[in-house]
Amino acid sequence: MRVGLFVTCLVDTIRPRIGFAAIKLLEAAGCEVEFPVQQTCCGQPGYNSGDQKSAKALALKFIAEFETFDYVVVPSGSCAGMIRVHYPDLFRDDPALLERFTAIGQRTYELTDFLVNVAKLAKIPGNFQGTLTYHDSCSGLRELDVYKQPRALLAMMPEVSVHEMVESTTCCGFGGTFSVKYGELSTRMADNKCQHVTETHTDSIVGGDLGCLLNIEGRLRRNGDHSTRVLHVAEVLSGLDKEE
Amino acid sequence: MQNTSINFKRQVTIKLADVRLQNALSRLQTRFVGGRSAVIGEINDLQETRTAAAAIRDLVLNDLEHWLLHFEQQATARGAVVHWAETGDDVNRIVADIAAQYGVRTAAKSKSMVSEECGLNDALEQVGVKVMETDLGEYILQLAHEAPSHIVAPVVHKNKEEIADLFAEKHRKPRTTDIAELCREAREILRPTFINADMGISGANFLVAETGSVLIVTNEGNGRLVTTLPRVHVAITGIEKVVPTLEDVTTLLRLLSRSATGQSITNYVSVLTGKKDHADHDGPEHFHIILLDNGRSSLLGSEMQEMLRCIRCGACMNHCPVYQNIGGHAYGWVYPGPMGSILTPLLGGLEAAPDLPNASTLCGACAVVCPVKIPLPDLLRKLRQRQMDRGMKSWQETLMLKAWAWLALHPMIYALTTKIGVRLMCLMGGKEKLLHTLPGARGWSDGRDFPVPAGLTFRELYQQGKHQ
Amino acid sequence: MNARDNILGKIRNAQVRTNAQAAATGLHTETINRHLAQHPRGPQPVPPDNLLACFKERALKLSSDVLQAADYLEVPTLLMHYLSEKKLPARGVCWPSLAELPWSAAGLDIQSRPANDQDLLGVTGAFCAIAETGTLMMLSGTETPATTSLLPETHVAVLDPCRIVATMEDAWDLMRKEYKQPPRAVNFISGPSRTADIEQTVTLGAHGPYRVLVILVPFAEITNDAR
Repeated sequence: MRVGLFVTCLVDTIRPRIGFAAIKLLEAAGCEVEFPVQQTCCGQPGYNSGDQKSAKALALKFIAEFETFDYVVVPSGSCAGMIRVHYPDLFRDDPALLERFTAIGQRTYELTDFLVNVAKLAKIPGNFQGTLTYHDSCSGLRELDVYKQPRALLAMMPEVSVHEMVESTTCCGFGGTFSVKYGELSTRMADNKCQHVTETHTDSIVGGDLGCLLNIEGRLRRNGDHSTRVLHVAEVLSGLDKEE
Repeated sequence: MQNTSINFKRQVTIKLADVRLQNALSRLQTRFVGGRSAVIGEINDLQETRTAAAAIRDLVLNDLEHWLLHFEQQATARGAVVHWAETGDDVNRIVADIAAQYGVRTAAKSKSMVSEECGLNDALEQVGVKVMETDLGEYILQLAHEAPSHIVAPVVHKNKEEIADLFAEKHRKPRTTDIAELCREAREILRPTFINADMGISGANFLVAETGSVLIVTNEGNGRLVTTLPRVHVAITGIEKVVPTLEDVTTLLRLLSRSATGQSITNYVSVLTGKKDHADHDGPEHFHIILLDNGRSSLLGSEMQEMLRCIRCGACMNHCPVYQNIGGHAYGWVYPGPMGSILTPLLGGLEAAPDLPNASTLCGACAVVCPVKIPLPDLLRKLRQRQMDRGMKSWQETLMLKAWAWLALHPMIYALTTKIGVRLMCLMGGKEKLLHTLPGARGWSDGRDFPVPAGLTFRELYQQGKHQ
Repeated sequence: MNARDNILGKIRNAQVRTNAQAAATGLHTETINRHLAQHPRGPQPVPPDNLLACFKERALKLSSDVLQAADYLEVPTLLMHYLSEKKLPARGVCWPSLAELPWSAAGLDIQSRPANDQDLLGVTGAFCAIAETGTLMMLSGTETPATTSLLPETHVAVLDPCRIVATMEDAWDLMRKEYKQPPRAVNFISGPSRTADIEQTVTLGAHGPYRVLVILVPFAEITNDAR
């Protein structure tokens, strides 16, 4: 399977290790992974702020770079959701483009969804030891039905103990530009999430979207919690959580 | 009701700091979110039923004229008088005229959010009609001179201590915080109101076109009293509330009570058709139904039409993490939460409520529970598009978004800029690897640190062969 | 131009039909008329195995009290026991259809008239009952005044189990069969009045009755098989 990795702007700039973790996992599942080097951003920030024009331009850029792959895999529910759910909607008035975007959308997957349901990864490379709790990012959950998949993969790691937090599916308050424009509200929502994390008394909080993780980590550290690790599920599954 | 949505941001600060409100909101979450979850499984196939409910609403909205005329014809044939009102002021004038026509001096009112839109109570007071709210929550608000903060549980923001204080002051009875006693006290105070009122005013949860009926759901019994005892009954509602048949309204009711309050059915469902005639022992001698537009017709045939499916259950706000943290008053008008964030700008103008479509992470929790499948996050995004198209965004935000989009469309410059940017941020974060301030993004850094980037981008590491 | 014309005009303009569609309007009106004539049901709940048992279970869940009488004549005695147990006064009013029951023999002072504000007990029948939610369906009329189930603190409904149907849709069908048109007021009652406006705490007894007692008793000689 030829997989195009859409690494996402946040992973590219802030935590590249997640991208390498994704590659390691995909290759362990027998995929041939390429990284089209011109890729940048899926266009979500502008799209959610009401800028359809830029979103369309970035969608057309995306499809030019990725259309030839068997699959597109994304270590983020919100970016994968943007591609699968919203790109087709952007071109609903153009039948030819709608067809192309629908087709590529159906071949675009959030990482854990792909590993479980398409690549059927049988053996997890990582050897994470300890307790963790899982945060369900909104877009992955509600647009792409990502809930069981990360848990199924984590369940295959014998030394991992997952403790569910209260309200794991409640929004952490990131919401892209919302986190800056409505900072007070966003911080309160992040704080609620951090409380639920802390109440699980686990070593780490893990999730599938870096935006959420930065938000949660930012609030944990400001609250004085420097010990709870904040990890992307790809880092845990790949074993790259051990690297600096 | 006056629209103060422009004060949203300031109100958010106040509400987040209001400890009593925060406690009240967590009670709401327990009762309504937990409540819905406990009974929604009683519906055999929830998704099929939601689809059917949405189809019923669309059937009407796609032919609203036909269905309204059929309703009017049926209702009139049974002796009701149907009025049409373009604005809230028109409603007030019609009710005042009806009151004058029948020599009405006192009116008993059961809950009506549409009447809040109009500011009906104040308008009637001005023409000398005394209006008594009889829904316990609305009665409490009337005593406190406050507006409702939720469309189903209007006084959710108050605790029993505050209500005890209010009753002690207004009823001149010994103060009690026992909830059953407070309810009994309200019952005894309000009972004469029902008996003696000249006019009953209600809303209508639905209008049934088939039979020309007004349908009201209540739990307290005040809805029944207000529409049975006084000699005049006035029902006020929006033009979008019409539903084709008794079977259709039953499908909607199955979802309404479970979505709203976690009840399999509301205690009373009253289906009122026409005025008292020879076959009746009780009921109003005069039955008036007022259909209000107030901007609803402007949504028809537009990309926002789906918002008119709304059956006012409140599930969206109950499940909204933003509402759960700030309550209803911050939204500044009659309708709060996700549905209010869409209706308020649509009925009152985007300029009056510029924050509402933006104060959301688009998490989608609302859309999951909406019984009639309104795509609420999509509608919020469409309102944001309208703001962008009308130049209503701040120049800073517009510049930032355009700059980012431009960069993203120019990969080489993007690569270079991000390389520099992440190195800078890394430097600024120092040994701690945390940034405590983010210039230009105080909304983030006032409450949160920012973990520094790794310092090298994925792109450059990949090109160096790091993945092999 | 009045408000009615303005509003209908706005609606019409919003739903502008092309010429081709306008020609098909005849078909369109036909769809509406067919929907009205056929009044199809939406998705239905799974029908209960036993309507009586289901009704009883749901009614109890909603804080109604439910008693079963072997026959019509036992009703006053049952009611007297219920009222004594709860230390409630043994007097009230009833619908005309129940006037002939042996109330005084059981020690009850029941007058056959509509309720007024002073009455503490109202005894009614019911048009039918709905098992899905433990609900009584009451139709208003000269013989079935609405105030009797509304004003008093205690409402007692005497119900024949053969009038228990599965769903509200079944109840509408029954009404369509037995009435030419809906009466002025159809009231569905599902237990004592209640409110949760104060601190989201459910309190029974708001403006309507504090308690609802359903006495199930077969009216006919022939007993019905439980369905």
